[in-house]
Amino acid sequence: MSRILSFFALLLSVTTLSAQDDLFDLLDESVPETQTVFATFKGTQLINAPTNETPGKGVLQYVIAHRFGSFTDDYLYNFFGLDNAQIRMQLDYGITDRLNIGIGRSSVLKVADSFVKYKALQQRTGANAFPFSLTLNSSINYRAARYTDGIDHDRTDRISYYHTAIFARKWNPNISTLFSPGLVHWNMVPGRDDPNTTLHATLGGRVKLNQRIALTGEFSLMTNSELSNGSTFTVPGGVGIDIETGGHVFQIHLSNTRAMSNPYWLSRNTFSALDGSLFLGFNISRVFTVR
Amino acid sequence: MKHFFIAIALLLVAPLSAQQYLTRQGTITFDAGSPLEDIIAKSESASAVYDSETGKLGVQVLMTSFVFKRALMQEHFNENYVESETYPKASFRGTFSDGRAVGTLTLHGVSKEIDVPASLSLEGDVAKLHTEFPVSVADFEIGIPKTVANKIDKEAKTTVDCTLKLRQ
Repeated sequence: MSRILSFFALLLSVTTLSAQDDLFDLLDESVPETQTVFATFKGTQLINAPTNETPGKGVLQYVIAHRFGSFTDDYLYNFFGLDNAQIRMQLDYGITDRLNIGIGRSSVLKVADSFVKYKALQQRTGANAFPFSLTLNSSINYRAARYTDGIDHDRTDRISYYHTAIFARKWNPNISTLFSPGLVHWNMVPGRDDPNTTLHATLGGRVKLNQRIALTGEFSLMTNSELSNGSTFTVPGGVGIDIETGGHVFQIHLSNTRAMSNPYWLSRNTFSALDGSLFLGFNISRVFTVR
Repeated sequence: MKHFFIAIALLLVAPLSAQQYLTRQGTITFDAGSPLEDIIAKSESASAVYDSETGKLGVQVLMTSFVFKRALMQEHFNENYVESETYPKASFRGTFSDGRAVGTLTLHGVSKEIDVPASLSLEGDVAKLHTEFPVSVADFEIGIPKTVANKIDKEAKTTVDCTLKLRQ
């Protein structure tokens, strides 16, 4: 009996002593088991395609983007294509850390748009891990350019819609990818048999070269790439570099796209890199915390 | 003899388990701002433990728990500066005695011995810890690009305020 008791006594004293040594272990017990993955991509768009990112709450973002003239189009005469620049301006705001609304204006066909973007799911690590982020993005686009087909068009003819679900995953601090299935709906198409709605899938990714520079790439596939009027649409895609400096993200890229409003680059792109239709372009975003 | 052992054991059990103070809601702020830019961040979920018998003191904070005024600054802090995915937490492990906290500060995967003034007052079953000290960004191998070098103070003024409660 006495042996058992002394054994217990010893055991107790040992336990308490080891509890003493493990004082610092108490610190680790407090670490939350689940962490939300941040900064999957540097920008709210990759090249043309939207990423899963939104500006944070109370953040006003201004994006100015250019697509310069083709290398094959009198390149030097056009000052490296700068004389033929297409431009997009965009202003958007983070209502919450997940909800983002914005407006934009692109010079190709004078398209104005407004969009809403919502982070529905966020990738998480730890006990309550979740493997990917899901952001929903929709835009309504209004073509302001005059029609040249001599037909009297309704105002609604000018409208097109874009909806996408952006699945993104940050595999490690340097590599992130996105898969973005979506659809474009045109209120007006050239022919009776042409579908108003086309389906699209964008694949993209980035590899960080260092803390502030990343390589990016994307391309998009679509259904029904031919229309009855003879138009054939190509696969839009490009490669680029993201450079981050404080409140700016500079994205410089080579792509086969000129239009920058979503339905137009995605569903109506006629340029092919194989014909030499490659365009230098950039997106610059600047954020202001206005909250 | 056995009674002696039991007595010793009880003596060991009772006081030792009653001297540990703990909090999970400690406040840590740092100010690395300059006249050009406000860079102030605050975490209100730091953990701190203190053993009044041995003087052992530990403080730990998750880097992602620091909240900045600007969301982008917070993202850059985590992604580019302290690399929170690789080094999720900062910790201090050491002792407190005679108005000084002495021990190892680990941040951004780098450990440094520090010896800084601190106050720790015991009031009933509460221990209040307060300390302010500069953290040299270079000491912890946190790279600052030249373009923003004049916007960031190389010495982040760090303040720790924790109210620890006696563990039952």
